[in-house]
Amino acid sequence: MEAIKPFEFKQCITILKATGEKAKNLRELRDRISDVSDESMFHHMYQYFLKEQRVLEYTNDFAEWAGETLKENVLSEQLSNIDPYSFKSIVDLRNEIVRVIDAYLKTFPKTRAVLLGDEFYFNEGITLVSPVGIQVKNLAEFLIAIRYVELESIYYHFYEARIRPPEEVDDFSHWFGDTLNKKGLADRIRSIDPFMHSLEAARQHIIELVEDELQNDMEKF
Amino acid sequence: MELQANNLSQFKLKLEDYIGVAPKIDLLIIQKLADRFTGRQILHINSTKSGGGVAEILQRMMVILSGLGINARWEVIEGNESFFDITKRMHNALQGNAEQISQDMWQSYFDVNKRNAEKLDLNADAILIHDPQPAPLIEFKTSGLWIWRCHIDISNPALKVWSLLKKYVGKYDAAIFSVAKFAKSLPLDKFIIPPAIAPMSDKNRDLANKEIQNVLTTLNIPVDKPIILQVSRFDRFKDPRGVIQAYRLVKKYNDCRLVLAGSPATDDPEGEMILNEVKEFAGNDQDISILLLPPSSHIEINALQRAATVVLQKSLKEGFGLTVSEAMWKGKPVIGGAVGGIPLQIIHGVTGFLVNSVEGTALRIRQILNNPDMAKRMGESGREYVRKNFLITRQIRDYLSMWYLIENKGKSVLEL
Repeated sequence: MEAIKPFEFKQCITILKATGEKAKNLRELRDRISDVSDESMFHHMYQYFLKEQRVLEYTNDFAEWAGETLKENVLSEQLSNIDPYSFKSIVDLRNEIVRVIDAYLKTFPKTRAVLLGDEFYFNEGITLVSPVGIQVKNLAEFLIAIRYVELESIYYHFYEARIRPPEEVDDFSHWFGDTLNKKGLADRIRSIDPFMHSLEAARQHIIELVEDELQNDMEKF
Repeated sequence: MELQANNLSQFKLKLEDYIGVAPKIDLLIIQKLADRFTGRQILHINSTKSGGGVAEILQRMMVILSGLGINARWEVIEGNESFFDITKRMHNALQGNAEQISQDMWQSYFDVNKRNAEKLDLNADAILIHDPQPAPLIEFKTSGLWIWRCHIDISNPALKVWSLLKKYVGKYDAAIFSVAKFAKSLPLDKFIIPPAIAPMSDKNRDLANKEIQNVLTTLNIPVDKPIILQVSRFDRFKDPRGVIQAYRLVKKYNDCRLVLAGSPATDDPEGEMILNEVKEFAGNDQDISILLLPPSSHIEINALQRAATVVLQKSLKEGFGLTVSEAMWKGKPVIGGAVGGIPLQIIHGVTGFLVNSVEGTALRIRQILNNPDMAKRMGESGREYVRKNFLITRQIRDYLSMWYLIENKGKSVLEL
């Protein structure tokens, strides 16, 4: 019998680099977004979910700045509604953000500058990934591990994995489906929308689904 | 002056001593990167071996790095009173104050660095130059990656001073800033790495109640009423006058004591003058204690922070303000000026309060004094936030990661 390939939990950290680019009004924000690096877009759109104290109204740094600093609440909601995981590439994502800001500027062309120090600073995130020394071979072990791994591990496997080629699905459902041959559980895990949950809430949903699966397995015997 | 790990025997904590204290991922990444850098040389150069957060962290960082097999050295440049007067002016100008720095002063600044370069061994694989004082050493680079580590807020500097300093900074391979908004437009990699505290140092380790009591008795601080504390150098940017003004507003409603405690630093010639000004401003108020403590008074500072009900860092300009993390680590709610790196540490309403005025400071002090349950919740949140973000292990992790990233340029994801 072929040995089951264990699931190895990993965790990522982000090292920040400043691009030196900043925006003091909405037009500058739009212009910088159209030409900053992919790494910067990735950091401000995807890695927002790593923020420990993120404001729940917002789903990315641009929306937060538009709402909290520019006080452009309509635009802030429109930007928050952009789900980065629904885009196939950073180019497409960038184009959509620029389109939304352009449309807003067409309606509200007058922009105001923020105070010195309140500008939007464009950073880049470089990700370092390391195994955390936890390997699991079955669902029961997985359930124990998922309860206490750090949230950055949930982010790496459940959020960031969705844009990682070649699979572009979260690592958990990929292992459940391909290694444990639990296609149903894999589908149910994939149906959790990461965009709609905090990391902790996503963890709780995964726990619930795995618990249900384990209960069903036990009842069969 | 060279300070090697074996000369820093009082700072003996190794990486494994942080297991169970620091986040596991930080320790894992440090170990993995250290394995890659075994035998390589890292050299830190700054301008003071004691006083201030930079020296405190370097003392401990040397021991941890050496314990991991990295050849870590720390050099301190030497300068006379005139040199430190010039660099203090530079420091103030970079933080936005109007200062006169003549051509002769710039020349003298360079000459002192040149003399240091002749005495120091500048050969290493990675050389971290801390702050403006030793920045001209880049002119004497022979090998290795040179990184300028800026600890101060230079987001709105006196432009003439910055443009002259930039001639040196622009020659480095990379720069590190504590906060994104401090990063200047420079044609080199600009990393954002906040500083950190050493959780098990005398300044931050747990203290028994008896130890705290002994310190308070020695310093003649009665514990009959709540203590409001600010720990900082006596420096205008720390706004000690504003702290006293806020205390006076609070005193109308809540009986309390104010303690202002600080240490002199060899590279800060203004300290004594400001201290005298603060004493005069405090007058004869018996509930105000102004303490000038020796730089080695770590247990005293620790005890004061633990005895305090509210800790302030009411800075007007701040590099990072490590005293904020120090107090949060001790479970204290902290009220800080919304400047520099303080908003990175204080989550407004969660781990403390950010303020912009004397009146705001007074209001928040009163809220904390009148809501002990809220103060306790804030303190608990603050300690966990510091554990995850502002311990020395995270800073070492980031320094080693930066070194690794510079040597592996062009990748946005790296597996260790």
